[in-house]
Formats: sequence, structure tokens, C-alpha cells
Amino acid sequence: MNCEKCQDLVSDFLDGALSHEDQKTLNSHLEECLDCADVRNDLQSIVGFCRSNRGVYVAPPNEKALWLRIRNVIEAGASPGMLATAPERENVERRNFWTNWVGRSWELSFPQLVAAAAAIVLVVSLSTVVGLRRWQSGETVKNNNAAGAANLSVAAENVRSRISQQQQLIDYWNQRVEFNKARWNPQMRETFDRNLKVIDQAVNDSLDSLSQNPHDEVSEEMLNAALNEKLSLLKEFAEL
Amino acid sequence: MNSPTLMKIRMFSARFEIPRIHPSVNLVLFAILVLGALGSSSVFAQQHLSKRYPAGKNVRVELKNISGTITVESWNRDEIKLSATLESPAAHLSPRQTGEALIVDVVADNRGRSDVGDINFKLQVPVNSSVDLETKSGQITVSNIRGELVRAHVSLEGDIELIGISASQVYAQNTIGNIFFDGEFARGGTYQFQSGKGDITIRIPADSAFKLVAAAPNRKIALGGFWNDGIKSLGDGRKFVGDIGEGRSRVMVTNFQGSITFIRR
Repeated sequence: MNCEKCQDLVSDFLDGALSHEDQKTLNSHLEECLDCADVRNDLQSIVGFCRSNRGVYVAPPNEKALWLRIRNVIEAGASPGMLATAPERENVERRNFWTNWVGRSWELSFPQLVAAAAAIVLVVSLSTVVGLRRWQSGETVKNNNAAGAANLSVAAENVRSRISQQQQLIDYWNQRVEFNKARWNPQMRETFDRNLKVIDQAVNDSLDSLSQNPHDEVSEEMLNAALNEKLSLLKEFAEL
Repeated sequence: MNSPTLMKIRMFSARFEIPRIHPSVNLVLFAILVLGALGSSSVFAQQHLSKRYPAGKNVRVELKNISGTITVESWNRDEIKLSATLESPAAHLSPRQTGEALIVDVVADNRGRSDVGDINFKLQVPVNSSVDLETKSGQITVSNIRGELVRAHVSLEGDIELIGISASQVYAQNTIGNIFFDGEFARGGTYQFQSGKGDITIRIPADSAFKLVAAAPNRKIALGGFWNDGIKSLGDGRKFVGDIGEGRSRVMVTNFQGSITFIRR
């Protein structure tokens, strides 16, 4: 017996209108199929309720919501439990979900709308926070991994990056110096160029050492000192 | 045309007729005139300035020069004597005194001027003065000062000599030139010396106590009698870090291309 046949017979089964043979077959299916057993139980409780409250009608606490739920259940179509095989059930479940989602008519009360909006805001906020954390931790992890994997190249890259940043500033101030330089007397120009070469030499010496050993702290310190010195000299003479 | 006036003119011309001179003599006379003019201009190219300012015992002197020498020495008077020799074209110079400070800012006084000649300064100040000296180029000499601060900054070229200094903060920096310090390190003081290309020599009492950080990429660091086993050598002798004595003051010395030498007095 399949689920469809079973659920067709459940009502008669509860009414005691089935033959002994059908009853036996149905019982054996209900023992094996939990979905059909649930349908049987639901129907049994409904029939039992109706029998015990015959002629008495008590309005549910939220009648409108109840009817909406019923309507949704009806629109949801056939129950997955009625299908024979598991893949079929899964397909129907997926289809029903999207069909319900797209096709259902969204009739919501004001409190429901507010609750839905609040839920959306909450979900978006949480996902943003979680996303940011994951991104940051991802960056950290990425940095750590890179440092572990290719320590030398990263150190060299850091030095290059720092030099590049400093170089941008140096280029800016150098342009200003070159602009003003024409006004200086020749002696000052010569002296300035000669001294700048000394600092450039210090920068290049440090870079040479760092290219051989990117972890050389002394060279890194000297490089920073020389670059800072060059920058302050350019700033000073840009204002002259 | 034989008017009495014309007659008088002719008679005057005949009496004071200018003698004719040979052209070579003219040339010699012209050369003498030119040389004389040049000589007189060089004599008047320098201007001298000398002014005295009343001062307390703990005065502060700030001097920003463009180029030229700066010499500061102490004397036993509660006043400052500022002497300056201004080379042509002479710079504007307007020293101003505010409270306990004398400020001479040649850079600000001549902003926008490119034709400023050297100014050689000589300052005589009370012994407890603080001095803050800057120049783009030129030698700075400070002697026998026992104030709070001695700062000598040569942006480009120029030797720095600090002799007989006992200040709690000393900064000496140049790009090309030697730095010589002969003085004492005060307890809790800070001392920084930096040169791009030149030799740094520090002469201090044998019992000096300080924390040292000295770096010279060419490994020319000589601590002499101040060496001890607690000093760490980093980067194959390019940097020394450690305590000498009780390490009461901080001393930082950096030389990009020159040497660093400590001498016991």
C-alpha cells in the first residue's frame, strides 16, 4: 500500500468502515510510515474533538489567523508524505516551498508587518556584524598565513610598501623644492644637492642590506631614519 | 656775435684751457678709478651689528640663521651681547626679546628673499642660558653653557662643536660635518647626536652613567673605556645598546656614514 491509498482509507478506517483485510494492510503501512501515522493521528483527534463537542462551537482565539493557516495549508497542495519514494518527496517539498513562497498571497496584519520588518533589520544587522568579523578574522588569518608561508617576501613587501608611501611624500616635497630652487643662490643649490646625495646614499645602503636580509632590524631603522631625514630636509627647504 | 658776453666766455676759456692728455695715461687713470671703486665696495659690503639685551640668569636664546657661523659663549654678566657680521647682500635682522627669551629669526625676517648673504653671529650669554640654534649651513660652536637645553641643528653642512656643556638636554644634528661634544651627562638627561656624513666624537667624564643606543652602518663605533659586557652588539656591530654605569641618562647617537667615538676625559 502506498501513502496516497492509505490516506484515502484513513477516514473510513476511523469510522470503522474498512474490511478486515484492508484494515490489516492499512495497519501494517501505518506501522512503517510515520507520515501516514501522523495524518491518522491528526484526523483521529479532529474526529474525536468533533464527537465530544458535537453541537458546540467555540471560536478560536485568533480566528482570522487560523483561517489564514488553513488557507495556506490548502494552497500548499499535496502532502509530501503521500508520495511513495524519498526523492519524489524531496522534489515535491522543494517545489512546494518555492511555490508557496512565490505564489502565496501575503496578507499580513500590522503587528505582523512590524515584526517582519524588525526581523529583517535584526537579520541584516547580525549578518553585517558576523560578516565584518569574518572579514577581519580572515584578513588576520590571511596575514598570519602569509607571514608563516612566505616570511621573507612579506617582510620585503612591507619595506617596499612603506618606502612607496614615504616616496610619495618625498616626491611631493621634492617638487616644491625644485620649484623654489631656481630662486636660491648657486652656492645654496650646490650645497643642498650635495647633502641630499649623502642622505640618498644612506637610503640606498639600507635598501641594499634589506634586499639581502629583509629581517635586518638595524638596516630597517637606518632606512626609516634616513627617509625621515630626507623628508624633513625637503620640507624645510620647500619653505625657504 | 661780438657781444660783451661772448667775449667774456672766450677770455675765460683761454685762461682755463684743459691740457691735452695722452690716451695711454687716460687708460691708466680709468683703471685706477675702477679698482678704487671695487675696493671701496668690498669694504662697505659687510655690515656689523652689535647690541646688548638685559637678561636674567636663565635666559633662552633662539637663533635661526640661513647661512653663516654661529658662536655662543658664556660670560659673567646678566645680559646678552649679540654681534653679527652681515655679508652683502645684507639680510634683514630684527631680534626681539620676549620675557626671558631673545629670538633672532633670519629665516622669517627674510622670507621670499633669495639674495641674502651669510651672517656670522657671536652671542655672549649668561652661563645658565638655554640655547636653541639652527642654520641651513655653517659651523655652530657653543662653549661653557650650563643651562637646560643646548640644541645645535645644521640642516646641511657645518661642523658642530659643543665644549664645556652641562645641560640636561643636548641635541646636535647635521648632514655633512663633524660633531664634537665635550661635556657632562646630567642625571635623567637626554642627549642626541646625529650626522649623515662626518665623525661624531663624545668626550665625557670617566664616571659617566647613561643608557646608550649608538648606530653606525659602517660599524665604526668605538666605545673605548665605556665598553662593558652588558652592552649588546646588534647587526654585526652596527648598533650598540646597553647601560654604562647606572644608566641614568639616555644617549642616542646615529651616524649614517661616519664614525662614533667615545673618549674618557
